[in-house]
Amino acid sequence: MSDMINEEGVSRRSVLKGAAAGAAVVAAGGLLGATAGSTAANAANVTASFGSNNSNPPGPKEDAAWVAAAAAAGIDVKLNVVDHNTFQNQINTYLQGTPDDVFDWFAGYRMQFFAKKGLLTPATAVWAKINADFAPGFKAASTGLDGKQYLVPTDWYPWALHYRKSVWKAAGVNPQSIKTFADLVAACKVFKSKGYIPMAMADKGGWEAMGTFDIINMRTNGYQFHVDLMAGRAKWTDPRVQKTFANWKTLIPFQNKSPLNETDQTAGTMVLQKKAAMIMMGSFTSGLYTNKADYNDLALIPFPSINPAYGTDSIDAPIDGVLMSNAAAKNLPAAEALMEFIASTKFSDTITAIAPGLFANKHAKVSSDPFIQSQVKLVNATKHVAQFLDRDTRPDFAYPIVSAAIQKFLTGGDSVAIAKNLQAQWDALPPA
Amino acid sequence: MSNDVATRKEVKIAKAGRKARRRNHNFSGGDRATIATFVGVPTLIHIFMVWIPAICTVLLSFTFWDGIGGLKNIKWVGFTNYRQIIQLDADFGPAIRNNLYWLAVFALIATPLGILLAYYIDKNLKGTKFYQTSFYMPLVISLAVTGIIWDYIFNSDGLINSLLGNNTNDSAIDFWGDPNKNIWVVLFIASWRHIGYIMLLYLAGMKSVDPSLREAAAIDGATEWSTFRKVVVPSLRPVNVIIIVVTIIESLRAFDLVYIINRGTNGLQLLGVLVYDNILGSSMRIGWGAAYATLLFILCIGPIIVYLYQNFSRED
Repeated sequence: MSDMINEEGVSRRSVLKGAAAGAAVVAAGGLLGATAGSTAANAANVTASFGSNNSNPPGPKEDAAWVAAAAAAGIDVKLNVVDHNTFQNQINTYLQGTPDDVFDWFAGYRMQFFAKKGLLTPATAVWAKINADFAPGFKAASTGLDGKQYLVPTDWYPWALHYRKSVWKAAGVNPQSIKTFADLVAACKVFKSKGYIPMAMADKGGWEAMGTFDIINMRTNGYQFHVDLMAGRAKWTDPRVQKTFANWKTLIPFQNKSPLNETDQTAGTMVLQKKAAMIMMGSFTSGLYTNKADYNDLALIPFPSINPAYGTDSIDAPIDGVLMSNAAAKNLPAAEALMEFIASTKFSDTITAIAPGLFANKHAKVSSDPFIQSQVKLVNATKHVAQFLDRDTRPDFAYPIVSAAIQKFLTGGDSVAIAKNLQAQWDALPPA
Repeated sequence: MSNDVATRKEVKIAKAGRKARRRNHNFSGGDRATIATFVGVPTLIHIFMVWIPAICTVLLSFTFWDGIGGLKNIKWVGFTNYRQIIQLDADFGPAIRNNLYWLAVFALIATPLGILLAYYIDKNLKGTKFYQTSFYMPLVISLAVTGIIWDYIFNSDGLINSLLGNNTNDSAIDFWGDPNKNIWVVLFIASWRHIGYIMLLYLAGMKSVDPSLREAAAIDGATEWSTFRKVVVPSLRPVNVIIIVVTIIESLRAFDLVYIINRGTNGLQLLGVLVYDNILGSSMRIGWGAAYATLLFILCIGPIIVYLYQNFSRED
């Protein structure tokens, strides 16, 4: 309980990748200093500042590596690393104060919100050059409500059912046989009878269980309804929302008893320690698998189909990226050069060498690691990609309103009353 | 008795007269400048750092504002924020309830216990120093460490569940995650800290009570309880005021403990957390946060004004 909760997934993947932060950060600090010193001499380089929220390991290592690569490519980067939680909480003040030229942020509503408030510099000129390197879906996710691109996407990760192959084998459940919701419930019963917690669930931070809500809602009512609900076009009082909650209720007896006392890390550890059979979580949960043998045992399957009309056609796969603040307008050529560098494979390949993942650039090297490959396969088989609840709806609605509602649901709250209150709170939001 | 009162009044008048004379004659220009500086600077700081922000907060509580852009983006909405908070915010009810629980537990259990401990420790029992240190220790330990200590005790695989033999996830008592239990666990920890604080304050006060008063009471045949009630407590009036104010303020402004546990959600909502989350969190509903702050201010200041007023008017 003493560890601060990683609020809403600011680079959740990197957050989880290490435990002993202190020493590594100090070490990386030394590295950064060295980098800055060695590149300052190059007079031909342009200089741009970068605000990083990648403060948890291996973040500092990644930052140091790409800053060095950028210097070699002719851009000196003044790196300003902020603790990721602080960065998150102070983003409004940061953007209105003296922000860095380029900074870490997310795709979706949370980017559009700042774009609409006039706190960002459009990256349309950058996109004119990088267009060919990205699939159209990424471009759409990088576009503000005014039709201009603001984001350069860097990497992303899918949400799916993660499990250990050895556990499923020991329990005699074939992962490939989980095609429908009934299959999933049947498998849960088997795991329960064998003494496992069938499904690890966390929601201490208020965001972890949003992924489960998203996927059950998309499986039950389809992607379009989910998007409409997030945008306020569909109502929370719609009976379809109750169907989602009803389906989730079927799974609650198979969850650990106290999800509100578990974080993504502690619940993920239940799977790692073979106490739980699976977890609905982003693939960043692999960060807990520091032992190679454990990591090789980790696998994922898509959440099974609930409504045959939608099958398994949608997933949550949030995109992280970088944006240009208003300050970049005064240093535009350098800031744009930096954006272009981050869009390039020079950037993604540098990061892959440290921590393999899924990168947005279509020419990026993809690790041959089977776990990464399974993520690629999952994403390729998907028709609709949602961002994640807290990135698909208004920030002032996601927290603390929806987060509190889901926590209430998980502690036995009446779903009809919860949905009614959600709609009333949506209606009471100040005009965006 | 009436004679006595008359004498006191005369003394007062005489004192006042002396003060007035001194003001007229004895202050040189330099003195006045010094006084003006020493009074004026703190007053200005106070006005700028306390009163102007406080008044702005109250004003902002009548507006919609997302904290972005200048004053032109602030929209006046009257009492809408207050109405929405009371009617809609699912956290409002639990927050008020928890703050009142906090106040009740502190006022009825923790503070009296602290005073009781101070009373016994003051009697110089054997090992007094040890007890004194032990009871004060919780305040010295940083909150993060406090969190870890109690986590080991109350967690689902922690001390209490192990002692009860609940070693599987399903049978363990969920102290932290169950919204009906966690507030009591937190109040227990908060009291654990508060008792030592009150004990120390009261102990310091009691050291200044003339021991002969107690002795005299004992010789007159007063019981321990009536000595405490009729001799010790009345002679500690200034300390009592401090303790009552501290108890009220500590329980209404509570924030840090629940914030390190679960950021003040799920059964641990508090007004202080709602102020912070709405103003500084990613939601940025400055109007709501300001309205919560105003409500908290009213709750805090109300009882304190009433108490201080009564107390000082009695002294006059």
